[in-house]
Amino acid sequence: MMKRTIHWLILLGVAAALMPTDDAAALERCLICHQKHDLFKTEETGRKISLYVDKQQLENSVHAERICTDCHIDIVAIPHQKEVNAVNCKRCHYSGNPVGAPEGELYDQYEHSVHGLAVAAGNPTAPVCQDCHGDHDIMLHDSTDSKMYRANIPRTCGRCHIDIYAHYRESVHGVESEKGNVDVPVCSSCHGEHNIARHEDPRSRVYVTNVTHTCADCHGPKGVASKYGIKSNRTETFEESFHGVAQQMGNKLVANCASCHGVHDIRSEDDPKSSVYIDNIPKTCGKPECHPEATVRFASGQIHIDPKSKESGIIYYISHFFLILTISTLAGLFIFIIMDLFRRAKSNRAKK
Amino acid sequence: MNDKIRDKAQQRQSLINDLTENIIDTTATLIDKGCDQELRDKMAAEISERINFEVNVTLNEMVTKYCPQKIGEQVTEAEERRFLRFGVNFRIQHVLMFISVIVLIITGIPLKFPEFAISKFIIIDIFGGLDNSSLIHRIGAVGLIIVGLWHVFYSALSKMGRKDFWLMIPRPRDILDFFHTILYFIGRRGSGPKQGRFSFIEKFDYWAVYWGMVIMIGSGIILWYKEYFPKYIYDIAREAHSDEGLLATLAIVIWHFYNVHFNPEVFPGSTVWLHGQLTESEMKHHHPLEYAEIVEAESNEIQAERQTTDPSEENVK
Repeated sequence: MMKRTIHWLILLGVAAALMPTDDAAALERCLICHQKHDLFKTEETGRKISLYVDKQQLENSVHAERICTDCHIDIVAIPHQKEVNAVNCKRCHYSGNPVGAPEGELYDQYEHSVHGLAVAAGNPTAPVCQDCHGDHDIMLHDSTDSKMYRANIPRTCGRCHIDIYAHYRESVHGVESEKGNVDVPVCSSCHGEHNIARHEDPRSRVYVTNVTHTCADCHGPKGVASKYGIKSNRTETFEESFHGVAQQMGNKLVANCASCHGVHDIRSEDDPKSSVYIDNIPKTCGKPECHPEATVRFASGQIHIDPKSKESGIIYYISHFFLILTISTLAGLFIFIIMDLFRRAKSNRAKK
Repeated sequence: MNDKIRDKAQQRQSLINDLTENIIDTTATLIDKGCDQELRDKMAAEISERINFEVNVTLNEMVTKYCPQKIGEQVTEAEERRFLRFGVNFRIQHVLMFISVIVLIITGIPLKFPEFAISKFIIIDIFGGLDNSSLIHRIGAVGLIIVGLWHVFYSALSKMGRKDFWLMIPRPRDILDFFHTILYFIGRRGSGPKQGRFSFIEKFDYWAVYWGMVIMIGSGIILWYKEYFPKYIYDIAREAHSDEGLLATLAIVIWHFYNVHFNPEVFPGSTVWLHGQLTESEMKHHHPLEYAEIVEAESNEIQAERQTTDPSEENVK
């Protein structure tokens, strides 16, 4: 019995190998219906989904070599016997898959992200792979047409986060991004990609105590911001400030980068609409949850002060005065103590 | 053993009594015949006391010099005369001050080095966060401000405070003393300079604290009420507070601790801050000029007493 089964299986395998598996032919068969622009299905939520498939688009995508049923595995007959389910990318994209699909921890990361958790919780509007990466038009992220191309990411995310996209577009980062500048941050630069977490989540890159490090990627000592005449010591000077010290001591109420500069609507300090524009600073400091008693006078002075830099004016001189005072005092005291001890040792020896 | 010592002491006492009587007898011709017995007894008692005192001091010195292992025994035996260095008022100021300063250092220095794990441990784990440690820092600050004001009033209003403050003022002699000490250290002088009530080292200590108090309290108040000041004043205050705080801490840990704790002479720690007293030998060793002044003043007093009593005696006659 067993032997016969194996024989049959071998025969089937040989037959399958000999049969011309014409991908193009398979695609054409599906496209009989799916090349029609007016083919729609209506979801339970009332959303109309176009079922049109652009052959050209599919052939340009990374999945050009795949046939429809590689992904739509539940389609076994035409016309479809039952409701066609959403494609599960993890069918190929898992560690050690035999077809050579790119894999990694990304899927795991996604499952623990705010989006993945929302999908798992049954939120029908939460994004799955296709919502960001596209479906038939998936391309490598370095292709300018890819939805995941750096400059396209704000629009991709903005499809759902429309208000935030509106703010971002007008921000100093957004304006540059629209121009095609790849140095400026897009959504994923700050929020992460597959591991996006809610900003209240301590794992998030934009969590209150993490945001400084996230901004430091560009505005820190080795950041790209210096290319644009923005000082590269912004996060260092923040950490030296009282706000920075308090934050390092675990205080979560204290101001971080975003508290003053804004979040998605960060603007240049020269922009009158900016929260750190000179005339707006008192208002920014005086937020009800920060320094409601702040006056215009309270807010007058440099903000990111580096005592090591001469630009800091009097602070530079005070810090150097104390540095010299401390070193000379301690050196003097040390020498005095050492001499005292030597003299004592000497007189003790003399006594003996 | 104790009995033996007591016997010796009694022997010594009787010797001194004999000596006193001898002196009284040999000087009988000099003493006015009209001098009544009570006065003579008083005189004898004083002579006896002075001889006793000198004998004890000399003995102590000799013992310290030639057989130091017996020092403990002898000092307790002799019950050296003690001199008051710090009054109760001053001692309380010092205690309140060091409690405040320790609290301020523990809650303050970690904020200068926030990146160190120990700083985070102190602020987050021990105090339970910056809010608590800030509150405790302010309590310490109130303590320090109280000490500061207290000391200013003490220096102005109390007799001892006024006297000490006057003596604390640096004088040209202090510079000479400093160079003298350096010469002594390098072996160019046989001994260090003779010090009065406050040596130049002690004056340095005192004025360093004075400077520190002014800077720390001044800048601290600005930081406390930052909303009433422009930011650049706040920034200056913060820089000064932070830097002077570190300097003061290091100065205390290195200099003050050396002088009162780790110095071989006082290790593991001087107790003068508790009882405020110095023994006679300590006085002679560390403050010989003050000692000389006190002794001179005392002998002047005795002479003055004698001068005031003598005429009255004659009047009686």
